[in-house]
Amino acid sequence: MSNEVEETMKRIQSHKGVVGTIVVNSEGIPIKTTLDNTTTVQYAGLISSLADKARSVVRDLDPSNDLTFLRIRSKKHEIMVAPDKEFILIVVQSPTD
Amino acid sequence: MPPTAALKKVFNTKSLKKGRPSQSRVDEGDDLEEWKKSKQLLRPKDQLELTEPELKDIIARQLGTNDPLIPQNLIQFNHAQGAFELIPPTGPMIVVYETQGTQIHKESEEAKKQVEDQGLDPSILEITDSAETIKPDELQNIPEETPGDEETQEEESEKPEVDSEMTEEDTEKETEVGEGEGEGEGEGEGEGDIEGEGGRAEDEEEKHHHGGKPKKLTNQFNFCERAALTYNNPVRVQDTQTTPPPMGTFSANVLQWVIYDAYQEDYAAQQLEKELERERKEKEKAPVSRHQAMTRKLVGKAQLSEAVQGRVLECWKVLERMVNQNTFDDIAKDYRYWEDPSDEFRDEEGTLLPLWKFTYDKTRKNTVTDIEWNPHYYDLFAVCFGFLDFMKPLDEGAVCLFTLKNPSFPEYICMTDSAVMCVDTHPKYPYMVVIGLYDGSVNVYNVQATCKQPAFRSNNVTNKHRGIVWEVKWAPDLPDGEMNFYSVSEDGKINNWVLMQNDLAVTTIITLFLAKDEVFGPDGTKLKMKGCASCVKFHPKQPLIYLVGTEEGNIYKCSTAYSSMFLLTYPAHHMPVYRIDFNRYNSDIFISCSGDWRIKIWEDNRLEPLFVFDVGACVGDVKWAPYSSTVFAAVTNEGKVYVFDLNVNKYKPICVQAIVSKKRNKLTRITFNPIQPIIIVGDDKGCISTLKLSPNLRIPCKAPKKQQHLDQWTLQCMKLDKLLSLVREPATLDIPEDTAESIES
Repeated sequence: MSNEVEETMKRIQSHKGVVGTIVVNSEGIPIKTTLDNTTTVQYAGLISSLADKARSVVRDLDPSNDLTFLRIRSKKHEIMVAPDKEFILIVVQSPTD
Repeated sequence: MPPTAALKKVFNTKSLKKGRPSQSRVDEGDDLEEWKKSKQLLRPKDQLELTEPELKDIIARQLGTNDPLIPQNLIQFNHAQGAFELIPPTGPMIVVYETQGTQIHKESEEAKKQVEDQGLDPSILEITDSAETIKPDELQNIPEETPGDEETQEEESEKPEVDSEMTEEDTEKETEVGEGEGEGEGEGEGEGDIEGEGGRAEDEEEKHHHGGKPKKLTNQFNFCERAALTYNNPVRVQDTQTTPPPMGTFSANVLQWVIYDAYQEDYAAQQLEKELERERKEKEKAPVSRHQAMTRKLVGKAQLSEAVQGRVLECWKVLERMVNQNTFDDIAKDYRYWEDPSDEFRDEEGTLLPLWKFTYDKTRKNTVTDIEWNPHYYDLFAVCFGFLDFMKPLDEGAVCLFTLKNPSFPEYICMTDSAVMCVDTHPKYPYMVVIGLYDGSVNVYNVQATCKQPAFRSNNVTNKHRGIVWEVKWAPDLPDGEMNFYSVSEDGKINNWVLMQNDLAVTTIITLFLAKDEVFGPDGTKLKMKGCASCVKFHPKQPLIYLVGTEEGNIYKCSTAYSSMFLLTYPAHHMPVYRIDFNRYNSDIFISCSGDWRIKIWEDNRLEPLFVFDVGACVGDVKWAPYSSTVFAAVTNEGKVYVFDLNVNKYKPICVQAIVSKKRNKLTRITFNPIQPIIIVGDDKGCISTLKLSPNLRIPCKAPKKQQHLDQWTLQCMKLDKLLSLVREPATLDIPEDTAESIES
């Protein structure tokens, strides 16, 4: 199973336009990253609080509902976030054209 | 009061009268005089002015016995009589202090009554009185009372008058009391009060003996408590200081979902508790070794981390899809929204728009031998990787499940050690995938559980076909719910496999013996020739009926009920039949394609084809469209896709498009998506192309004006029926032959 996870992560990293991938644990601490240290810490801190807030919004509207995915489209990048109770996966991709 | 007021007035006036001359006399700044002077101004206006003789007149004063302070004629209202009544004058007495004594006069009524209450004759009182023996006795009795008295008096020491009056009496008493107490205490402190009391009791008894003298007569309304003042324990303050307990700041938001989660957790805990309770009860009934429970716990923990791993993987897959969506954004939009506008100017003809291409690195050398859409998920399809060029055999094969949502990598990969030739997904359980292999065995995968090894696998030695398995097909479940499937192989056998508990049970449904005489083999044996089945198709409405295409070019109509004979034999082609497909709208119509470059459309029980199309190359696959009764598509070895619409043109395809380069690639398989207007085609380089059908290739039926209420299904059936009525005449059958040449040119 963990092997497959590794492979998928590598595959995503090799995709066109992918700037970096970050795995963050439930406490907001980055576990795995392909970006440099400061950027990673910044992304991890900011995104985890944003994901918490977003989940809070979704769950407050309907407690039986849950947040599954979050994508933030900016002028330069697209930040894709897959939040879970125990981890958060972040992929930063810059558009190809 | 009026008298005093009057008196004052008189005095005042007098002083005033005296003041005036004194003022004239003393004019110096004496304060008192000053003050008086100011007062002088307040003289009433109506003051009597007296003449000089009147002022000098001496008024005589007399001292009488009448006290002007004593009120007279006092009255009060008597409520009983309802009238005022006179109160007798109070006299000159003034009560300054009043207190109640503890003794009463022995001749008073009260004293007599007390004596009577004690059960004595009041007359004794008088006798003793005369004898004058009472005094010492009485005094001896006092000790019982006096300590209390003393204390009360000490407490009341604020009142000085009480002391002054009482002390005299007390001192008298105490002198004698001291003796009494001295007796009691003298006997020893160790024995304590009991002894003392005993002594006192003896005394009392003595008294009674002495002449039945009464006890002291107490005032029954004025009791005094006896108490003793002891030393107060000194108050000590003792403090200890401990290290303060650790503190932390806790802050949290309570939101609706937090509460909801808390309740859910609580409910789960309750359920768990119940479960444990039940298990405990069961254990009590049948004792099981504790070891089992321990292992279960360990397994639970492992499962948890496994579950987290699974979620991580799932999240990565979602992310991968999103990355792909961004990468292939334009294709995704084309897939959804692009309709070729040039179709409006090309009547009858359409185009195919290429979308994603699916490949998997490890199967780039393999040929796509079969593709099939998943019956449950419209975006998921299974692809078989094997080989068809038998001059270059490959050892490995795979079956991959791709989804349109992730064009870069397969969703599921099942690697096999032999080339995979065919696949089928169970319509009811979309995760059950059966594959037929080049070596003649069949495998069943449960892709949901694991892709690494098959859930069922036919025995490599005993339970297998003696040739390539060309097609597998799930059959409806058996009455007792067991899954089963059919397989068609080169060895001329059609087998039915049933998924038992652990293995596959196999039955041969039919062996395709050719209708030829037996051939002499070596050593004088005789062999009955068998047909090599290459494809199979089950009738969509009659589950027993099926069609088998063979490499000899025949199509056999068979029934699973008869294992030794064919219902019908169509002499269909001159080369191997590669595919048979029933029309979605009319199950009497089926299509077949072959290596002899021809596509033929047949009607059930009619040995001559209704249509024949020659496309000038080996036709690998042909399929009816799900959305129209008259549209079908085929792929050829030359890398072209042909789309026909019989309703538009009975002689020519309405779209011919080269998908891959003619020299290097061949197209092998094609299939329509059941919902979306797309087709996928596989080639011999392990690549699957997705193509979108342009609007001209999928024109819906227009209802005639008189029959607007009819739905699309009926209209499609009507369209096909109308078409068939035209071609059923035998005279028209020779036309297709001509069209074939026109296409070639």
